[in-house]
Amino acid sequence: MNEAAPLPEAAVVAEKLTKRYGSLTAVEGLSFSVAPGEIVGFLGPNGAGKSTTMRILSGTMSGTSGRATIWGVSVALDPAGAKRHLAYMPENNPLPEDLRVEEYLTLRARLKDVVPSRVDERVRKVMDDCDLTRRASGRLIGQLSKGFRQRVGIADALLAEPRVVILDEPTIGLDPHQILGIRDLIRSLRGKMAVLISSHILHEVEQVCDKVVIINRGRLVAQGRTEDLRRELLPEVSFTLVTRSDEAALLVACRAIEPAATVTTLPSADGWSTFRISLPTGSPARETLAGALIAAGISLREIAEDRFGLEDIFLAATRRTPGESRRS
Amino acid sequence: MRHFRTLLAHELRSAALSWNTWAAGGLFLALMGGIHFFALIEASRAPSDRTPVESTLWFFWLPLLCVLPLLTMRTFAEERRSGTLAALLTTPASATAVVWAKFLSTWIVWVVFWLLFTVFPLLTVQRLGTPGDTRLGDPSILWGGLCFIAISGLLHVAIGILCSCVTRSSALAALLAFICLLAMTAAGGAMESLPIESWEWLGWLREPAAHLRTFGHLQDFAAGILDSRPIVLYGTGTLLCLGLAVLSVEGQE
Repeated sequence: MNEAAPLPEAAVVAEKLTKRYGSLTAVEGLSFSVAPGEIVGFLGPNGAGKSTTMRILSGTMSGTSGRATIWGVSVALDPAGAKRHLAYMPENNPLPEDLRVEEYLTLRARLKDVVPSRVDERVRKVMDDCDLTRRASGRLIGQLSKGFRQRVGIADALLAEPRVVILDEPTIGLDPHQILGIRDLIRSLRGKMAVLISSHILHEVEQVCDKVVIINRGRLVAQGRTEDLRRELLPEVSFTLVTRSDEAALLVACRAIEPAATVTTLPSADGWSTFRISLPTGSPARETLAGALIAAGISLREIAEDRFGLEDIFLAATRRTPGESRRS
Repeated sequence: MRHFRTLLAHELRSAALSWNTWAAGGLFLALMGGIHFFALIEASRAPSDRTPVESTLWFFWLPLLCVLPLLTMRTFAEERRSGTLAALLTTPASATAVVWAKFLSTWIVWVVFWLLFTVFPLLTVQRLGTPGDTRLGDPSILWGGLCFIAISGLLHVAIGILCSCVTRSSALAALLAFICLLAMTAAGGAMESLPIESWEWLGWLREPAAHLRTFGHLQDFAAGILDSRPIVLYGTGTLLCLGLAVLSVEGQE
């Protein structure tokens, strides 16, 4: 890592990035940033422009307009300088089939300007970190399983201890054990490297990332911490309850404490009724609902607040019109 | 420069371990060995102005068209197809370093093939010749011819590299290289056979035609005539092709 370099405000800056292919606009006016040491999830439906944006940031593709900087260095004006701070693992993680893992990593370390005396040490370290030493170091890359190939790609990304790591779908094709391992590995980078990671496994992103950036049809639709986005994009909280009372009685009891409350009947069995009660996010009734219902004579068997995850945030964000995003 | 050295060492190593190189080398030696064998048979049947070595070198166009495209076709096309070129360009190594490393390694392999070919005439002279008798092969002709092949090979390899840069298909890259090299070699030969001097309206073509005499260059080099014009032609052509190759690599998205 370049120890002497001053710390910039943002490790990655995308400012009004636009990429057009003829009449097709892949990315339009996209702006976001990643702070040093921060792990950011980059989400969007297929074809939203995630990989295009990542390729522009990594310098493997030029944007039509806009500005991209890596650790304060313009990707367009000084691509070699930007690449010194950056490691990028592309989506399909292309690797040469005819090299052994150790040979490949040694070559990449040399190309990434790792100090010659530290090349062997760094190769051993990333192979250990990615669990490659025991089972894959001497094998040809062409003979490795998808999971091990992904690990080689991640090991390559971490080789030169870059300031910024961009990983495009790093856990694709991995089994649950491997995903856990990679997730822990990425989590261990927090505070050391800025990580921009795209993934379709939203649970994984929620577990690992400090912040998410969501794009749709090439435009930013939401960015911020998951909690903030939950408040912004999901204006209601809801509870599921199982009771013997009917919907009308329940609605009266709910409206008594929150006039904006709504009640929806859900399918149920065994003589009990299941309902969903929705309240505005900021409503104080959220904390007193159970007590108020019991006081109103509603017999409860179960009541639980529905947890909205990143999946719900993602669906809400990608449903709204691109361009109506708000910075959280 | 450090990246270039690293890449060159990697390319040479890859070439040495590639089945493609060994297959091309086998084909090359079979072709040139066969040609030399028939040149010896021909020389034993009837007296000729040319020594067997000269006759063999005269067929340099055959491996040029059949073997060189096999060496250059995979350099970029295969890496573009598999995506490893894009991955390589995410490192601080420049497109220029990548192009020059691939070019130089392929040229070295090409020259090594021709050096291996020298075993045939040298063995022939050692086994069948008598001291001082140059009828089986004058070493100066052999080395002069090889100098021509090495120098013209710079341009020929650069053409193959450029062809490989513009497509993702190795087969198409080989075909393109074949056509370009055929056009270049045949154009020189055609120019030599045309009576340009007698056609006044083609007078302007006389000067450029003189530069494109590929077989004439071989003759000059084999005869020990060192003319700077072909060297400039092959040198500038090489730089032009490699410059275009760098632009092509930098521009691919």
